[in-house]
Amino acid sequence: MKAHSAWGSSKNSIKFRIPTSDNLVPIRLDIEIDGQRFRDAFTWNPSDPDSEVVVFAKRTVKDLKLPPAFVTQIAQSIQSQLTEFRSYEGQDMYTGERVVPIKLDLRVNHTLIKDQFYWDLNNFESDPEEFARTFCKDMGIDDPEVGPAIAIAIREQLYEIAIQSVASAKESRMIKKGRKGFEHITASKTGGIAVDLVKSFGKSSVIRKRKEWDVFEPMVDLLSNEEVDALEAREERNA
Amino acid sequence: MEASNFKQSVPEEPHLDLYTIPSYSSWFQWGNIHEIERISLREFFDGSSITRTPRIYKEYRDFIICKYREDLSRRLTFTDVRKSLVGDVSTLHKVFTFLEKWGLINFSGTASSSSSSSTNALVQEKKKEVEDEKWRVRVEEGAPYGVRVVVAPNSLKTVTPPPPPLPLGVVGVSGGGEVAENGSKFPPLASYSDIYGELLLQQQQQAHQQPQGKELVLCGSCKEPCDSGHYEYIKEERFILCKKCFGNGDYGCKSVHDFKFIDGMNHIVVWTEAETLLLLESVLKHGDDWELVAQNVKTKSKLDCISKLLQLPFGDLMLGSALGKSKFWDTRADISSDGQAVPAAREFRDAVARDSQQHEHKHEDQQNAEDRGPPQKRLCTVPILDASSSLMKQVARLSAVVGPPITACAADAAVAELCYENRCSREIFDDDNFGDESGYSAQNNEERVCRVESSEGEKRPAMSELQETTPQKNVVPLTLRMRASTATCLGAAAAHAKLLADQEEREIEHLLAIVVETQLKKLQRKAKVLENLEVIMEKQHDQFSEFEEDIVAERMNVLQEIFSAGIPRWNDHTSVKSHTGNAL
Repeated sequence: MKAHSAWGSSKNSIKFRIPTSDNLVPIRLDIEIDGQRFRDAFTWNPSDPDSEVVVFAKRTVKDLKLPPAFVTQIAQSIQSQLTEFRSYEGQDMYTGERVVPIKLDLRVNHTLIKDQFYWDLNNFESDPEEFARTFCKDMGIDDPEVGPAIAIAIREQLYEIAIQSVASAKESRMIKKGRKGFEHITASKTGGIAVDLVKSFGKSSVIRKRKEWDVFEPMVDLLSNEEVDALEAREERNA
Repeated sequence: MEASNFKQSVPEEPHLDLYTIPSYSSWFQWGNIHEIERISLREFFDGSSITRTPRIYKEYRDFIICKYREDLSRRLTFTDVRKSLVGDVSTLHKVFTFLEKWGLINFSGTASSSSSSSTNALVQEKKKEVEDEKWRVRVEEGAPYGVRVVVAPNSLKTVTPPPPPLPLGVVGVSGGGEVAENGSKFPPLASYSDIYGELLLQQQQQAHQQPQGKELVLCGSCKEPCDSGHYEYIKEERFILCKKCFGNGDYGCKSVHDFKFIDGMNHIVVWTEAETLLLLESVLKHGDDWELVAQNVKTKSKLDCISKLLQLPFGDLMLGSALGKSKFWDTRADISSDGQAVPAAREFRDAVARDSQQHEHKHEDQQNAEDRGPPQKRLCTVPILDASSSLMKQVARLSAVVGPPITACAADAAVAELCYENRCSREIFDDDNFGDESGYSAQNNEERVCRVESSEGEKRPAMSELQETTPQKNVVPLTLRMRASTATCLGAAAAHAKLLADQEEREIEHLLAIVVETQLKKLQRKAKVLENLEVIMEKQHDQFSEFEEDIVAERMNVLQEIFSAGIPRWNDHTSVKSHTGNAL
């Protein structure tokens, strides 16, 4: 009943949302004013009133002692990302089985994380935050910033995939109008990035082949100060 | 279920390995998927996806558990597991936490990585529980969807030591089981008085005190009876001062410190039968004017009188017993050292006669019974019923309802229970050969009741002989008998109730059977109708397929004609399209 409804039915199309238990929008801020740079990432509940955005911006600026010019910039950035999210709301998403690989490759302060795993987009009970907590605990990561960063990275990828699937769903609808009996083609097309779990189950077992273990095994590196500096310099160059 | 150390063998390994899992997870089986798993991890069992099937769940589960058992000392983490399993991490995580919650993994592993994490805390908490409570059964708090698992391996519930073996032949007849559960504790009922406790006290006092029966405590100074308390001079045994004299300093040359106060209220309130009778009589006469009552009783204070009356089982029963015993009042009164009670007792008879018509009636009955004597069976029953008020009547009526063997068993159980209840009563039963009450009850009811009378009759002379030594003993068998018969009565009533209940149950079963039968018939009829329908459908289906064949044949004909006539191709195209449309 409850559990049943939490799983997206493969038959009916699903209205756009972040495919997790909490429909939270990942927000990423990267603002630079007068050589001062502010970067942050967090989640936002789209059902909160928009008046909260300005309040939040003011608060952040006050807490971090940023110049007041940041307030409008932060508020605008959040607002635009929310507007983008809302523009997809109400539209149909993918249909059918959707298991996607999520790849993590991020650095938080001194911690470098590489990981890969499968995520079921039809599971509306999934909880990236819980996953990140478990991850940090299992890997013995003490830095409190790592967990939220992992969760946000997952959410961003899920958000991205959800947007793509809205587009492909729209496309397939258009095609459907034009011609009949086209579903199987669009399905395979939209499923481009999705993983065919049944196929990857292999011949008889859900257990991965040994050689694949490394791919799906999380890698956590603790960097020294010099390494961090070097990495940051490289990122600067690339940017 | 039965053992907390649930032994399992890992199928991959040839030898048996013993693993410890918590008792609340004893449902776990390698070969099976339990209902708890089905409910907790519903997504694998609702067929919503081909990537979540029971088989896949079982593979996940078995892999995780095996992985854990490779090294029991290490805590298995989710991150260890997920790299080796293909599947959605959220689902895997759910399986993992489920297994962890039920202690199927990470149960015995030492919490070496005792970090502050929540799940770890849970594990530790669980461990602590286990250590603290020694495999005590826990109803899992987190049991999902209201599943409650109550396994009872070594229940810590304080088991009351089993009562001494009772000759309980009949289940549900006596309240023996209940008594055993409550540890023989009776609720403080208003109508209940601890007769045996008093008896014990009395016996002890009798044993300790002077063997010459009850005598008044007389003040050594003023020579008056000391009611409420007195001072005893330690150095000289029988020198006693009453409170008043002690207060006045009338202890002569003796030292004050050598006197020991003995509270008459608590210690020496021993009521003789005559005194009790006197008390009852006075109460009848004077009502609750306790001053007068106390005056009438003479040997006891006002407070004593009140408390005694409160302690008596209940007034009318006591009165009945008093009347029943009226026959040997005289003998007792003569023997009794308490001379004052005698005239009072005589007065009492007249008082009762005068007091109320009911009592008069009883009294007459009583005298009739006395006149006719025990040999006449039919008539004997009347006085005994009267003597013990309506109780015996009820016993007789009830035992008539349920039949002699059941009553016998009830009586057996009652006597046994009374024996078990108190050492004193057992002694009394043994002394008086009271056990024969259980023997006689096997016989015919009427006879039985008569024998109660006759056995009492037999005992009477014996008792009056006993009187000289222990005047109290006369009360004892009677009250005990009352209690025994009460218990018998209750037992018989319970048996009867059980019979009724059984009958009800049978009737209900019968009705249920009828209902089921009717339903079955209904279903059969429906099945028949459906069969008919099926036949009709089949016929129609055949017809339709014939039609179809005809139509195909016709169509072929038409097409052939068209071909032979050479009609242009566009017609052909449409027909093909419609054909594919049909196929889709």
